[in-house]
Amino acid sequence: MPAVSKGDGMRGLAVFISDIRNCKSKEAEIKRINKELANIRSKFKGDKALDGYSKKKYVCKLLFIFLLGHDIDFGHMEAVNLLSSNKYTEKQIGYLFISVLVNSNSDLIRLINNAIKNDLSSRNPTYMNLALHCIANVGSREMAEAFASEVPRILVAGDTMDSVKQSAALCLLRLNRTSPDLVPMGEWTSRVVHLLNDQHLGVVTAATSLISTLAQKNPDDFKTSVSLAVARLSRIVTSASTDLQDYTYYFVAAPWLSVKLLRLLQCYPPPEEGAIRGRLTECLETILNKAQEPPKSKKVQHSNAKNAVLFEAISLIIHHDSEPTLLVRACNQLGQFLQHRETNLRYLALESMCTLASSEFSHEAVKTHIETVINSLKTERDVSVRQRAVDLLYAMCDRSNAKQIVTEMLSYLETADYSIREEIVLKVAILAEKYAVDYTWYVDTILNLIRIAGDYVSEEVWYRVIQIVINRDDVQGYAAKTVFEALQAPACHENLVKVGGYILGEFGNLIAGDPRSSPLVQFHLLHSKFHLCSVPTRALLLSAYVKFINLFPEVKGTIQEVLRSDSQLRNADVELQQRAVEYLRLSCIATTDILATVLEEMPPFPERESSILAKLKKKKGSGTVSDIEDSRKERNVNANANVTSSPSSDLLGLGNSSAVNSASPPTSSHAASLLVDVFSESLPVAALGSASAHVIEENFSRFVCKNNGVLFESQLLQIGLKSEFRQNLGRMYIFYGNKTSTQFLNFSSSVVCPEPLTADPVLDGGAQLQQILNIECISDFVEAPVLNIQFRYGGSTQNISVRLPVTLNKFFQPTEMTSQDFFQRWKQLSPPQQEVQKIFKAKHSMDTEITKAKIIGFGTALLDGVDPNPSNFVGAGVIHTKTIQVGCLLRLEPNTQAQVSTAALGLDDLHFSESLASLFHTHL
Amino acid sequence: MMRFLLLFSRQGKLRLQKWFLPMTEREKKKIIRDMTTMVLARKPRTCNFLHWRDLKIVYKRYASLYFCCGLEDQDNELLALEVLHRYVELLDKYFGSVCELDIIFNFEKAYFILDEFLMGGEIQETSKQSIAKSIEASDMLQETMEEYMSKPAF
Repeated sequence: MPAVSKGDGMRGLAVFISDIRNCKSKEAEIKRINKELANIRSKFKGDKALDGYSKKKYVCKLLFIFLLGHDIDFGHMEAVNLLSSNKYTEKQIGYLFISVLVNSNSDLIRLINNAIKNDLSSRNPTYMNLALHCIANVGSREMAEAFASEVPRILVAGDTMDSVKQSAALCLLRLNRTSPDLVPMGEWTSRVVHLLNDQHLGVVTAATSLISTLAQKNPDDFKTSVSLAVARLSRIVTSASTDLQDYTYYFVAAPWLSVKLLRLLQCYPPPEEGAIRGRLTECLETILNKAQEPPKSKKVQHSNAKNAVLFEAISLIIHHDSEPTLLVRACNQLGQFLQHRETNLRYLALESMCTLASSEFSHEAVKTHIETVINSLKTERDVSVRQRAVDLLYAMCDRSNAKQIVTEMLSYLETADYSIREEIVLKVAILAEKYAVDYTWYVDTILNLIRIAGDYVSEEVWYRVIQIVINRDDVQGYAAKTVFEALQAPACHENLVKVGGYILGEFGNLIAGDPRSSPLVQFHLLHSKFHLCSVPTRALLLSAYVKFINLFPEVKGTIQEVLRSDSQLRNADVELQQRAVEYLRLSCIATTDILATVLEEMPPFPERESSILAKLKKKKGSGTVSDIEDSRKERNVNANANVTSSPSSDLLGLGNSSAVNSASPPTSSHAASLLVDVFSESLPVAALGSASAHVIEENFSRFVCKNNGVLFESQLLQIGLKSEFRQNLGRMYIFYGNKTSTQFLNFSSSVVCPEPLTADPVLDGGAQLQQILNIECISDFVEAPVLNIQFRYGGSTQNISVRLPVTLNKFFQPTEMTSQDFFQRWKQLSPPQQEVQKIFKAKHSMDTEITKAKIIGFGTALLDGVDPNPSNFVGAGVIHTKTIQVGCLLRLEPNTQAQVSTAALGLDDLHFSESLASLFHTHL
Repeated sequence: MMRFLLLFSRQGKLRLQKWFLPMTEREKKKIIRDMTTMVLARKPRTCNFLHWRDLKIVYKRYASLYFCCGLEDQDNELLALEVLHRYVELLDKYFGSVCELDIIFNFEKAYFILDEFLMGGEIQETSKQSIAKSIEASDMLQETMEEYMSKPAF
């Protein structure tokens, strides 16, 4: 029987519930429910009109059945009828049913909206609250459409009761979250801000929630809330605990409101106005001071509420990241909590310290707690606390403590919970790579990882170690020796066999001199693992064997024998069989030269973002990986934002031919930056110069002799280029790839500043976007154009400026000429204006083929047999601009002994010579 | 903002579910399953917080019932514990030393009380007195046990 019957209990409902509870089996329960459903259906369909009470009771029973997890396909109409009952309890049940079982049935929604409308205009606060709750609970688009203008009106109306204001504020917040487009800002916004001054603390609490959410989206519209929030916070913080009556919670003054105000302030940078800033600092200091006072109550509620405010204050301090003294105090406070006897506080302290570690002011202070954190990794009984300790160690890691942290993580890994092993493996792999000073340590660390937690070492991790070993010749010998030793263990993890097989196959020769690791010993060692391995690993080993044949002709016979055995040649697995057959044939028929070419050492891998980092991000959801350097970098980028907008009149006239035509031919007086269609001569050189101060140019030089490739890559965005040039015209395809799984909003790009090219404003996660630029060279230029990109990712706006590789040499047309022609022209040139000669040290190898390729890539024709000295290089080409064509002769005399080259450029037009010469020298 | 609030028993029986953002029934079932298995597996005297997907989970056990809520990243975990506690206090005040059975038999009341306290996943009113007052106001139709017993039992 029912435990209580308060209010107006429904006896039939209570009986039904206890029947269900008495059911011995699931089948019995379903049987009882079906019986009840049949009963209710017959009552609803019956001729006799049901009274309000029965209707309420049956609707409530349906609700109960639904909440038990059964489908309900009728009763909605009866619930809607209850909405217009004038009995409060009937109305209430009707609304509850609608809230829980909302159905997008449009007929019903219209009826429901009607009932809500009636209640909203009833001026009865209890009814209005019910209606507002229903809107907030359902919150569908239809409802948002119907009430988006009504709710704000109720919120700011002078005669609205306090409790209704509270509901209206939160209802509006809810609508704004799900249908922001339907809730337009209006004159009500400024009045909402003033609710922060309201007498009623409940209203202020609800309004602060609303303002925080709105301010995140439109910070400018709610700027005035900062001073009001500071004032309000200051009054709460300094009040005696009894001042706020029922809003004091276990001797803590208005903890909910305090936390919300502190949260609101985190939508903004530190207040600029000195007085407000001072007052806020005072508040934060008071909160920090209170933490040191003896507790006013022994109840956990008291300490929770007090510390909730404290943690929120610390978040604000970290967010502002501007007051070193506060940051250090915050860090010390968290340090105290690290050793607190409450597990919850230790957990939260570890979590907050993670964010604190990313501030440059407090990074060092956080590092002083390393021993405590390591200790909690070892002694905490709660896995979720240990997990936070791992996160913090990862966040506080830098070059100075990397070895210690990696060692501790590795030793923890031996006993770590299975649930977090993979993550620890990824973190160790990342830290080891990021902070490796010598790569032998890196190799040791990864091999240890495989030894300790081989099952949790994902492919990314062992791929990465191989990439690194292949790209760094200084570690290859060590790696070969180390894997060889590791493979000696009687039982080693299959991942180790993979790494070992690959590395010995590539670099086994580096240790073959030692008789203890002679080729035959290496081979037998690998082959002893072969039969215990899975098919992919065996396939990898077969490739290692054939590489051995190339490296060590003396073991050829042994390996051929293995390949020839039935277990290989007739292996049931088609991949293994094919490899065995092909490798065997290859080793039999190919000459040593061919073998050496086919089985050459792997070329270095292109440098790219660590795939491990990508995996960790995916695992944790991007944004939550606390990558110290990233967050620091991001701050710099934000600081540098809006630098690149330089004022300039015209004219990147995409499809704007009149603009192109009206561009006057360049005058020779200012020779610097005149690439028209992209630039005009009126573009002030200084402006360009200042803009270029923060422009990313790292990949720029690669494109001087190349037209396609990756121009820019960050963790969010990749920009690829494909360009083609013909005479004075060029076309550039820019590909923007979103590397994250979330959308970039408001994506836009512009070139330098003339008429912006607007791209599709939304860039879906993982998606790619293409943009085409048309380029025309009007005259000589030095400064290449800059591509500015802006988009919103997560909450923050990202600005990226990249220099576009449009250089003068792109407009070369190669010209063939004879030796006679060439030297005749060369003699006609008059130094120094027309001929530029420079001696420079070779930056890159002076390999003949590479130099040849570079000269062709530079755009000129490579003239063979023109120069009497065969080691010299000679090229010729014509630069096309809109107005003139400039012939260019080029001669490069390398001196291999001194590693210097003498380059001479001869040009018809002197203005071109300097710009081209500098390009040529820097990139060749 | 709180995304959801669940009340379930030590046996994993769900007693109350409140979703503050629209979700499909499938998602709801998945969350309920994950929460009950995760929370019930926790050892005694461990901390009250967990990470689950991109949410912070805060839970606390009161007698035979677990109160468990999912928070967004910027929410304050300690204060969420006190939200749960305040809700328990409100139930206690209404039912007079509340027990699991009260919530089973008067589930609709448990929802009404929650609605007075939280809305759209944010706290609406923190004053215990104000909430109690408005709940009392809606219970004006008090009835005697006699009236109750005279009602039909089906």
